[in-house]
Amino acid sequence: MIRTLFRTLPPACLLALASGCVTSTVDQMVFNKPTEGVGDATVVILGRRHASDYDTEPDFVECVGEHISDGDGTIKVIGELEFINTFYPWFEPRTAPLRVTDLERLMRQPPVAEKLAALNTEYMIWLDGSTERTDSSGSMTCGIGPGGAGCFGFGTWGDDANYEATIWDFTDRAEVGRISTTASGQSYMPAVVIPIPIIAPVQGTACDGIGDQLLQFLSSTQ
Amino acid sequence: MSGSMTSAPDRGRALWLAALPALLGLALLAGCGPAEVVVKGDFPTPLMQKIPITLGVWYDDEFAHHEFFEEAKTRTESSWLVRTGEAQVQMWDSLLAGMFSRVVYMNARPGPGQMNPAVDAVLIPQVQELQYAIPAQTSVKVYEIWMRYKLELVTTGGKPIADWTMSAYGKTPTAFLQSDQEAVNLAAVMALRDAGANFATTFTQVPAVRDFLQRKLGTAREASP
Repeated sequence: MIRTLFRTLPPACLLALASGCVTSTVDQMVFNKPTEGVGDATVVILGRRHASDYDTEPDFVECVGEHISDGDGTIKVIGELEFINTFYPWFEPRTAPLRVTDLERLMRQPPVAEKLAALNTEYMIWLDGSTERTDSSGSMTCGIGPGGAGCFGFGTWGDDANYEATIWDFTDRAEVGRISTTASGQSYMPAVVIPIPIIAPVQGTACDGIGDQLLQFLSSTQ
Repeated sequence: MSGSMTSAPDRGRALWLAALPALLGLALLAGCGPAEVVVKGDFPTPLMQKIPITLGVWYDDEFAHHEFFEEAKTRTESSWLVRTGEAQVQMWDSLLAGMFSRVVYMNARPGPGQMNPAVDAVLIPQVQELQYAIPAQTSVKVYEIWMRYKLELVTTGGKPIADWTMSAYGKTPTAFLQSDQEAVNLAAVMALRDAGANFATTFTQVPAVRDFLQRKLGTAREASP
């Protein structure tokens, strides 16, 4: 048993290093790009959560924010949870502005206007979409006995990511850009004693795609 | 002479062996109990202009200890017990403190002859209904909580000023390594936040409340120099 384990471990490790294939496309439509980056101003990235059957995942929003901060350290990205807690109850799914013109209604609340001015928020980026499991097949059985434990079988599943970023300019109260990305990939999990996941990083690819485009839009160095 | 002599470690082992079936039995029984969620979360204070009145608040016992129990309908489902009382009080405390100039807790439910602090009006929130849905019950990959509140605004003497109902909804998507309990808690926190957002943005639009505030604040403005 132990000998079998040692024989299967090296190829298992090699396979784990591999990952499933992902195909991705990014579309960009920019109306008004800042000429010298965002300077001292801040950027906030928020997820849309008003649809009935999906939520934009908070970890995707965080991933895009980190991608931008890592790409250009001069861009200050405000965390989503920190922002919606500070501005409670104005950015909850029920109350969040859906159109850029709704910002006027929000700015009529003096404490909100004051807080936004203090934060010096230049751009508000809305991310809308989700990553969904499209199909899955295969089967795997696992067992445990006095001699050890192990699994045998094969599983595969597909993921589809579909996201759109809408960029609002706070100063001009205008929508200044729109970026959409789609990514899809197939993951595999063969198991001979040990299950070896070969995961297609679908959401990560979508995050990189949209993050790169946003970085180009916001950064003066790109 | 008969008897048994066992050393301390042997006695311990014997005790363990005797207790093992009982422990296993208890573990199995625990597995049969309902899935229990004590809702816990952080609720921010609203960012808004405070309404310049002194609001009294009364949480009755049923509200402060609100819980929802649903028995399993089939053998494959599990029963659910969702305790929201503590989180309800926490959310409403935080919300009202940010919405009104002053908030005072009542000693008892307002009524004729009841000794309570003097306030402009007393709010009495109640949970009328709570429903939940988990992905195992629906085809949608989200956990959902829906609540309906009955809200009463009364004078300290218990005379009604306004009463209305308000709904709140919270959902959270399925996530990797997230248990049903964690997801239901998150959905309940979202529903409570939604209740706060709904109340904060619609309170002054309830016709009877609007009339009351116009009378109250109009009188206050006339009285001020």
